[in-house]
Amino acid sequence: MTDEEFYGPALCTLKAAEQFLLEVIAEYPAVYGEQGADFPVKSCQSRIKSAESMRKKLKARGFMTNLHSALNDVYDAVGIRIICGFVDDVYKIAAWIEKRKELEILQRKDYIAWPKPNGYRSYHLCLRLCAGGAAGTLAEIQIRTMAIDFWATLEHQLKYKQKIPCEELIRKELKRCADEIAATDISMQTIRDMLENGFCEGLEKDTES
Amino acid sequence: MKLLLAEDEKALSEVLVTVLEKHNYSVEAVYDGNSALKYLETQIYDAAILDVMMPGTDGITVLKTLRKNGNMLPIMILTAKSDIDDRVIGLDSGANDYLPKPFDTRELLARIRVMMRVQGTQTDEILKTGNIKLNHATLEMSSDVSSFRLSGKEFQMMKVFMENPGIPISLNMLLDKIWGSAGKEEKETVWAYISFLRKKLKALHADVGISTVDIGTYQLEVFTL
Repeated sequence: MTDEEFYGPALCTLKAAEQFLLEVIAEYPAVYGEQGADFPVKSCQSRIKSAESMRKKLKARGFMTNLHSALNDVYDAVGIRIICGFVDDVYKIAAWIEKRKELEILQRKDYIAWPKPNGYRSYHLCLRLCAGGAAGTLAEIQIRTMAIDFWATLEHQLKYKQKIPCEELIRKELKRCADEIAATDISMQTIRDMLENGFCEGLEKDTES
Repeated sequence: MKLLLAEDEKALSEVLVTVLEKHNYSVEAVYDGNSALKYLETQIYDAAILDVMMPGTDGITVLKTLRKNGNMLPIMILTAKSDIDDRVIGLDSGANDYLPKPFDTRELLARIRVMMRVQGTQTDEILKTGNIKLNHATLEMSSDVSSFRLSGKEFQMMKVFMENPGIPISLNMLLDKIWGSAGKEEKETVWAYISFLRKKLKALHADVGISTVDIGTYQLEVFTL
């Protein structure tokens, strides 16, 4: 079944919602420092969930595999993924989106503070548009660091593989990589904080307190 | 290398301190069991040498108390008792080695070296303080909600803190233990690693943290709610 056949006229609304969200995120302000302008949003991807993938998800969750369920029972017919450099950026961007009046936040899932058992770390926002031509549409925004995004591309492939060779070993090693990447993300954030706050100042302040 | 020597015979103690210091160990001598326990519970050593028969608490009791509290410091028992049963009791109480008096100081030095080598190869333990676990085999620091894989130096530093909870540890001690006294690293390096660990502990929702005790002195603290 094609996306057009499954979603029908609603496909236009979903595309409008996708466009609307991309425009909102494009407004995220640059940060001006010694090096000039820095854009915390390093890249932004979007998609309308394919008919095939949507039907599979609805079925797995025990919902009817029809349009009404696709638009109301799950949040990610429209999906946006924001990639940024540092862990703190994830939270800053999330906080900024949560304050937007044209969006109503329905659910927050912080898998960075509470990682999934496989090691997955991202911040998810489920929301409803409350302005524009696509008002009322549900969407999901995922925010994560570049390092974790790199990891997630491989983890994602596992979901679509019918048969995984040495599955237990692969999952264990992938989990180890997630823990290593997350540790590096935190170290990078710590170093950035040291650069911004003055490294030696931090030490002096610490030893004097 | 810092050693604690608990030996109540002053003359023997003086000889041992001289020999050990000549071989580049720094030695703190105490002359009774209660002092030994107090020093071992509040300071960091690389190994301890305990006489069995001492005023106050005897060496075996000191040893048992330390082991019961999870202190895995390498410990050698010294005693005039050379009876097989006494040796077995000493070893079964958690001693790493047992040297009957009289002994040749060359043998004592060799046995200390063995004890330090063996300690460096014990790599399968999992340390636990509060809700934080540190796994030797995988370099993983974890809580119930999350886990990180640490770098080698981060791991060694966290190990020092977790092996000595509540004991103040100075920047210099950390430098010496982790980077070795010959290294060129400065206190800034140590502080950077403390910063890395603090942020990771926070991200793990840890109920322990590395707190600043005094100028350049830190300790692992268990937060109580």
